[in-house]
Parts: sequence; C-alpha cells; structure tokens
Amino acid sequence: MQLFKTTSLISALLLAGLSHAAELRVLTHSSFAVSKPLLAEFEQQNGVKLSIIKAGDAGEMVNKLILTRANPIADVVYGIDNTMMGKATAAGVLLPEAAERKSGQPQLPGATSIDYGYVTLNYDKAWFAKKQLPLPKKLDDLTRPAYKDLLVVENPATSSPGLAFLLSTISAMGETRAMAFWAKLRDNGVKVSKGWTEAYYTDFSRNGGARPIVVSYATSPAAEVFYSKEKLSTSPTANLLLPGAVFQQVEGAALVKGGQQAALARKFIAFLRSDAVQKDIPTSMWMYPVQPGIALDPVFQHAEKPAAHTTPNQQQIAANSAGWVGKWTRIVLKSGQ
Amino acid sequence: MLRLEEVCKRFGPKLVADQLSLTLEAGEVLALLGPSGCGKSSLLKMIAGLEQPDSGRLSFAGADLAGVAAEARRFALMFQDFALFPHLDVLGNVCFGLIEHGVARAAARQQALACLQQLGLAGMEARKVWTLSGGEQQRVALARALVTRPRLLLLDEPFSSLDADLRRQLQQEFRQQLQQAAIPAVLVTHDREEAFALADRVAVLREGRIVQCATPAQLLAAPATPWLARFIGYENVLAEGVVPEQALRLGPEQPAAAVRRIIQLADGVRVTVASADGELTLTLSAREVQQYAAGLDVGSLLHVGIDRSAMLSYSTAC
Amino acid sequence: MSERGRRAGLALLPLAFLLLMSILPLLRLLQEGQGAVSTGLFADRYLQWRVLWSLLQAAVSCVAALLIGLPVAWCLARYRFPGRSLSLRLLMLPFVMPTLVAAMGVLALFGPQGLLGVNLQDTPWLLLYGNLFFNLPLVIRAACEGLAQIPASRLAAARTLGATPWRVFWRVEWPAVRPWLLSALCLVFLYCFSGFGLALLLGGQRYATVEVEIYQLVSYELNLADAGALALLMLLVTGVIATLYAWLERRLAAPLKVDPVLPRRPQGMEWLQLVAALALLLLFAGLPLLAVLWRAVQAVAASGFSLLHDEEVLLALGNSARFSAMAVLLAALLGWLHALAARGSLWLRALAFLPFVVSPVCVAFGLLLLYPQWSASLPLLLASYALLAYPFVARSLAGALDSLPRHWPQAARSLGASPLRVFARVEWPLLRPAFRRGLAFAAATALGEFAVTLFLSRPEWLTLTTLIYQRLGRPGADNAASAMLLACLLMLLALLAFLIIEWPSAAERQLRKES
Repeated sequence: MQLFKTTSLISALLLAGLSHAAELRVLTHSSFAVSKPLLAEFEQQNGVKLSIIKAGDAGEMVNKLILTRANPIADVVYGIDNTMMGKATAAGVLLPEAAERKSGQPQLPGATSIDYGYVTLNYDKAWFAKKQLPLPKKLDDLTRPAYKDLLVVENPATSSPGLAFLLSTISAMGETRAMAFWAKLRDNGVKVSKGWTEAYYTDFSRNGGARPIVVSYATSPAAEVFYSKEKLSTSPTANLLLPGAVFQQVEGAALVKGGQQAALARKFIAFLRSDAVQKDIPTSMWMYPVQPGIALDPVFQHAEKPAAHTTPNQQQIAANSAGWVGKWTRIVLKSGQ
Repeated sequence: MLRLEEVCKRFGPKLVADQLSLTLEAGEVLALLGPSGCGKSSLLKMIAGLEQPDSGRLSFAGADLAGVAAEARRFALMFQDFALFPHLDVLGNVCFGLIEHGVARAAARQQALACLQQLGLAGMEARKVWTLSGGEQQRVALARALVTRPRLLLLDEPFSSLDADLRRQLQQEFRQQLQQAAIPAVLVTHDREEAFALADRVAVLREGRIVQCATPAQLLAAPATPWLARFIGYENVLAEGVVPEQALRLGPEQPAAAVRRIIQLADGVRVTVASADGELTLTLSAREVQQYAAGLDVGSLLHVGIDRSAMLSYSTAC
Repeated sequence: MSERGRRAGLALLPLAFLLLMSILPLLRLLQEGQGAVSTGLFADRYLQWRVLWSLLQAAVSCVAALLIGLPVAWCLARYRFPGRSLSLRLLMLPFVMPTLVAAMGVLALFGPQGLLGVNLQDTPWLLLYGNLFFNLPLVIRAACEGLAQIPASRLAAARTLGATPWRVFWRVEWPAVRPWLLSALCLVFLYCFSGFGLALLLGGQRYATVEVEIYQLVSYELNLADAGALALLMLLVTGVIATLYAWLERRLAAPLKVDPVLPRRPQGMEWLQLVAALALLLLFAGLPLLAVLWRAVQAVAASGFSLLHDEEVLLALGNSARFSAMAVLLAALLGWLHALAARGSLWLRALAFLPFVVSPVCVAFGLLLLYPQWSASLPLLLASYALLAYPFVARSLAGALDSLPRHWPQAARSLGASPLRVFARVEWPLLRPAFRRGLAFAAATALGEFAVTLFLSRPEWLTLTTLIYQRLGRPGADNAASAMLLACLLMLLALLAFLIIEWPSAAERQLRKES
C-alpha cells in the first residue's frame, strides 16, 4: 500500500511536470494506428506535441465533434469517411478546404482523402469446402433456403461497416427493392450484430461462430494471413464480391471549425498524405493509400481488390441515411416486437 | 466532589433529566436507582462527558466540567456490556487507558499485569476477550477502568448481564475493590438489591427527577412517596404510610380478613388478604401458620391488623 | 447541531464530487436535448419491450438468485467441510471480475461453439446467466450472514417445541434471513436493471436493456432528448430501489453475534445436498472464469506467450496499474468521507448509489459537453474511474460503521483517548477489514471498468480493457488469441488486487470468524 502511494504520487508529479510545446489536438477513431516513430518524427520536425484523442468508432467520433462544436475538443480530425461526411458538413463542424484533387484518386468532398477501402462480404473457405455448398452468385441468392442462417451483418445504426453494406445494397437496387430484399434476408435468418467485433469474433464461423458469411472489409483476408502465427500461405477467408455488396469507403482528414493551430493542422494532413504514412497505412489500418504508386505489402495479394462498387454519393448519403437506417431498423429488427 | 446543578436534558419528546441536582462526596459510592428508561444511563453519559446537558451545571472538585472533553475528565466509564475491544487481547484492553494517559508501554504493561493479578486474572493477559466468561469480562472491564486511577468511576449496570450467584459474589469483591481504591463511584442500576449492597447513598430516579436521595437505611425507614416505597420493595403501601411486615399483627383480637391468594415458600407461606385497609400481603413462618392459621385456604379467614405506631410515614426530605 | 455541522463538513467533498461528475453532466445532457422528446416515445412498442425486458430480466435474475442462492447459502452456513472457509472467500471473486472478462467467459461457455456445446446466443439465457454470475454470490453471502445471526438457542428451542428441521427452516430461519435477502435482492435488481456492460455484451440485438438503448440513442443517433427521458425513467426506478436498500441496510446493522450456530459435518444424504450446492456454485460463479482460463491456455498452446511480448501490452499493464492505484487513492478518500457523513443519514447513504444508477453513457457525454477543454485530460479520466469505484469503499465502510457499537468509542473516550486517538486505536483497527474490502472492489472496478471505454481516450492511456477491444477490432487469429490472453491477464490482475488488499492477516481472520 505504501509503495502504491509513493509510486502514484511520483507519477502524478511527473505528469504535472510535462513541458508545454505547441499542442495539436487530433481527433480520431479507435482504429487509428499510425506507427509511433512516424508520429514522433512529425512532432520533432514541427516542434509540436501531438495529442491524439480517440473517440470511439467513426460514428461516435462525428457525434462527439457535433456535440462540442461550440468549444471544439480538437483542431484536426482524421478518420471521417463518406458515410459520415454529410452529417458533419451539415452540422458545420468542419472547415471546408480546397483539397488538392488528382484524378483517379478516391475523393472525399469537404475533406482531404487519406485512404480508402471496401466493405464487402467475407466467407469462411473451410466451411464452404466442408459443406460442399456452392458460393452464392448474386445478393438475391442469400435469400434462398440453401443459404438460410448463413449471413451475419452489423447493425447499420451502430456500426460503420453495417451502414456501408446497407448503403451499397440501396445504391445497387434502389430503396424500395433493397428494403424488400432486406425483409427477405430477415425471413431467411440474417443475424444482426451490434458491431464488427461481435460479428467477426463471435458469429463468423472462422472464429468459432455459426455464420460462414460476414460483412467485413475486402482487406480482411490479407489481415488473416498477416496476423497468423504459422504465417499461412493462403487466407482462410476470402472476399465474396457480389454485385451490389461492395461499398467504397473513403477516409479523410479535415480541420475542425473553431480549432486552433490551423497551420500545423494543415501540415498534419499533408503528413498523413506523405509517402511514409501512406506506406504505413495498409498494414496498420488495413486501408489502401490514396496516393498512387505506393507499393503495397506482399500480404495484400491475399486480398482481392474489388473492380466495381455500388456507393451512393455523399449528398445522397447525407440526405437519406437516417431515414434508410430507420426503415431498415423497423423492417429487420423491430418487426415482430 | 461531583456536583450536578439543575441539569436538564431532553431526547426528542423524552425528558431524561429535569432540573436535576445531585452531589457526590469524596470516596462515596452513589447509586442511581430507577426503572428502565428513567434516564439514568443518559445521566451517567453526561457525567462522563459523552453527552452534553441542555442546561444546568456539572462540576468536579469545584471546577466546572463544561467544555472539558470526555477524555480529559479522567472519569472511567464501565459499560453494561463491558465494551471490551475485540481487536485487543486482555492485556491490550487493560493497557488501553494507561497508554492514552501517556504511560510508557513497559510501565503500562507492569501496572496492568499487577492490576490483573489483584483482580484474580493472573495468566489471562494474552486471552482474546471473546473467549472470556461473563465474570471474567466484568473483571477485565473493572481492571481496565481502575488501572488508570480515575478521579471518578462510572458504572452502568455492571452486574446485570451476570447470573445471580456470580452477581452476589462479584458484588462483594467489587465493594472491597472500591473501598481499597478509595475512588468515588456513581453506579447506575435498576436492581434495588444491588444499589443497597454497593452504595453509600441511593438516588431514586423517576422520569428525569430524583424522587429521593438517601442512605439505604434512610430510604427503607422513610420512603418519600408511595411509588418509591413500592419500587424499593414494600408490599403494603397505603395512602397514609407504608406498612412493613413488623407493623402487621396476627391473633384472634385482630379483625378477620378473607384470604385471597396463598403462595407456598420454602420456609412458610405468603398470604394476601382483603382487609378493611385494602389488600395486605404478609409472610407467615411455618410456626406462625401453625399458631394462627391452621387450615389456611383461599376464602378462609385470617385475623390480621395493622399497628399504626409501627407504620412508616412518607418523608418529605430528599 | 455541531454533529450535523460536522457531518455536513464531511459530506462536502463527496457531494461536490457527485454534483460535478454525475448530476451536472446529466443535467447538461438533458439541457442539450432541450426536452424535445419524441411524441409517443413510450408508446413505441419496440421501446416498451426494451423497458419491459429490462424490468423482467432484473426480476427474473432476482428470483433465480433467491431460489438457487438460499439453499446453497444454507449448506455453506450450516455444514462443516474441508475448504469451507476458502469457498466462502472465493465467493467474493465474481464481484471483482471485470465485466468484459465475465462476458468473454460466458460467451466461451454458451456462445456459438461454446465449451459446453449449447449455443444460448440470441436467447435471454445468456444475459440471465451473466447476471447470476455476478449476483448469485451476493445473495449467498447475504444469506450466510443472515443465517449466522441466528442464535443456536433459537433453533434448539424450535426443535424442542416439535418442529422438524424443515419446519425450523420455514418458521425460524427463513423469517430471520428474509430482511437480509431482501436487501441483497434490492442490490441484485439495481445492478441488473441499470447494468450496462453486461447487457451490451451479452444481450445481443433482442435482449439488450434500456441502458443499451440509451447508449445507442446518444452515441449513434445523437438523440439526446429521448435518451435523457429514458435516463430519467431509469433514475426514477433505481432511485426508489436504492432508497429502499439504504433503509433496509441501516436496519440490518448487525449487533454482535451471540451463541452462533456452529457448522456441523453433514450426515448421509446431507453430503448429497452439500455436493449439489457446491456444484451449483461452481456452475454459476466459477465456470465462466475457468472458461476464460481454458481459452487462454488454448491460445497459448496455439501461439505461445510471444503474443504478450509487445510494447503495447507493457504500456497497457503499466497504465492499468497506475490508473487503478490513483483511482483507488481517490476512491479511498471520497469513500471515507462519504461513509462517515452518511452515518445515520438515509439520503446520503442512498446517494452513494448515484454513480451506479446514473446512465454512464449520459455521464460520459454530459462531461464532454460540460468540460470540453478537460474532456481528454487525465484528471477527468481518473475522476471518472474514481466515480465508479468510490461507492464500493463508501458502502463497505458505512456497513462496518453501523455494526460498530457506539459503546466502544465511548468507552475509549472515558479511558482518556481523544476523538482522534479513538479513531486510531479503536475505530480504525475495527474498520480496517471493511475498508480493505472496499478498496479491493474499488481497485478491481478501476482495473476493469467497462464504462470508461465510453469516455475519450488517448493512445498513451491504453489500458488492458481498451487493448482487448483494440485487438478484437482487427481480423486475424493472433489478434483473437492475444485478446483472450489479455482477458485472462486482466482476470489474474483483478484476482491479485483482490488478494493483496483483501486477504486478511491471521489475527484478523480469527477476529472475523469469532466475533
């Protein structure tokens, strides 16, 4: 007990004694994982102390930004994506910047795009091999009895991949047909999890669950190889790139309206687009860098990059996503209750 | 030594001291005798400094006690349940007050051991207090109080949790210990036998007031009120006075009274009769039964009269 | 009068803390919502189901805890068997387990492809089982304590008056234990009804509680008005229960036991009862922890310990220890003051429950609104830890203070000890076990508090809980294995904190046993 007291007293004193360099407050989501040496280098080069603040997933982050708009908790935000951008813009929490536009790069109007990825279906190869069940060819197959109780999705109300997947189905089929499709999915036993972690680690058959198809990211099969002890030669999972089931997610950074250190914030955004960080992003956050010509880690050969996607534009998302999620909730979750 | 002047104390609607005045002389043992809930324990706590009076004055050896904290009074209070500290052993309990009074540990230990020896507790110093019998606990509590040589000893029903035999035996020892130590003491009890056996003077309390304060002999000879007479054990209490046993006369010349109840005793009977003065209760020895009441039965007649000259009249003095 | 003044002085700091950290944030959130509650909010059938289910699962947990807990407690209290005192002690373990660990254990047992081969996911049983894991021991301990208060003579008297052991139970033991059980069930209801972490992790989409609904409304829909209305509804229900509990608990202040019933060796069929009781105990209070251990062993077998050789793990370990220590210090201070002030005051006593019953989500967002400039600062984070941890210290001490006979300090005063010395020499030694127990709970709470993940966090504040979440946020077998190992590590740390602080010295153990 005595030892406890002494140590904590000392640590409290140490904390109080930290020096006060210029501070840049960076709000980000909980998956933020740029390597520490890179961040330290940025701090050194610019004489700034980076204060990284994690605020839950992208949705929670934007909501916290909106709540504190009168007295912003950060100067720059990274990790805002095209599903949330409209909401943030409508609430006026970001400082619009004229981003440098290079054709061919995925764009995030209203912010500077940093990286992008695809939300799509993953399947458990071993499960399909064992059951000798052919893979579904189109989304509607998932509503057939053969594929009953095989799919797990995330709740679009509480999960960004869940929302992205819902948006891709709507973009592909139109609202009316998409909702009818979801009603049929519901009747065919689609499982809804709260978030990606629950879906992937509790329900996905690869990790001991009962569902061999999960809504995840197109890079997940590569990550499965990367994070495996025995360094697998092939991934145990693969992408199921059905038409209408691929959403392109673009993540970006922007200045927070009312924030300080605008010059430093712009430097930080430039830093995120620098080659060093862009090269770091694929294996730390499992997204593709927006800058062309960045060599990917060889492990990405296990992730099939989708050739096509169905993604609504930002305006459509901003205008309709709340209504779509509400309708989806009524159809899939609240019916029968 | 101890003086209480016009002390008042009220707990909510209950009056525990109502203009109460009292004195205690050096070396004297005073008993506060009263029925349960008459406020005697509160009075004791006020003397100890654990409760504050609403008004009135307490002084000891001429010095006002107002503002003197309980620990500074050097009055040791012994509780009904003895309040031995369960986290300390016997020796630790006895040393407690000595250490608080600044006695060095080694010296405190010596004194405590001596005191334990004196009270017949030699060899028990390392015992845990919950392993002691009731009598042993009582003696440890007494040792804990006496060893600090307090200026005044305050005792709250010190024998009530012990059985009758042990109580009698310990009361005798206790009286000796007090006399030896020559420490004045205030004893609170609801047991008149205990009060009479231990105290030099007895103050009888009722509803926050002292009904009478006198030596046991004076109390018995001239109780102040019919209530008090009954409380200290008289059976035949009439409006004009108390009829002690010796004032009751038997014999054919006495008026006849019908027998109401008979209780058989080891060495006689206890008879209640309906006389012209109301119900009278008297104890007849076996010899008297044979002489005056052969064939005694409920409903039969017994000749009983009162010798008015031997009656006790109520005193007005306090 | 001076007594009241002294109490007010003591209460000042904890009350100010509660005001700043709990009440004002909630009010600020309500203000932000501006009372624009959706019309027909409570007429929505979906929401009605949420409220109904919250009440139902709490009530069912209470009934189940009573039906299972009472017989088990009776066996533990009345039978003597090897390992009895150890069993009674181990009963405390679930209390100190982080919610995340418990939930992972429950899922490892009854999740899809669980160790027991039964998939209870998406059924109400998963949450109910989790509730029982945490709350059954609470009921058992309370019943044991109640049973220990019954003098042996009373049971003997009943037997001589012609009652069979079963009738003795119904007519003598049950009435005596009832108030103890009632107070424990109040706590169970409170924890189950307002519990957040467990319902979030085990309830799934269908069997989540109102508290989870509030979380979704605030965090994802930014619907502060509806969330605030629900939070007030919760507060209303829990406030009534907490006050009832405080009232019951004060009445239960235990006098010293006289003539307790000594446990005896079971005879014949009684062994069967005992074994059944212990098996139930293992099933509900032990199995989830064993499952975590087993999964961790599997992870080690598959991947080795190298998963823990990692800069992040070290950082998380260090932070968890550091934050817990600081939170415990703060909790100790606040807990003492609150307990001393609450002595004899029903309201202050019930107020100690405030941090449990005010929706943590509302507090987290309220703090963000109230102190934006402080929202990512360490003092605020530590204060949030302390907010969730200190009621344990306050409650444990308040209970011990109540059962401390007033005579003892008075006797010490009359023997010459000043109030300060009375505290040092009489009250402190007697309160120390309860204080340490409170600290153990506080430390375990701080170590594994799930709700803190709702607050803003910084990478350099990585703790074990957040690290587990981070690992579970990425695909890959290594991440899953290391999350399981970390959960096991967290479990062992909680156990360690519990042992260091709670395990009494031999003397204390005897004191506790005897008196």
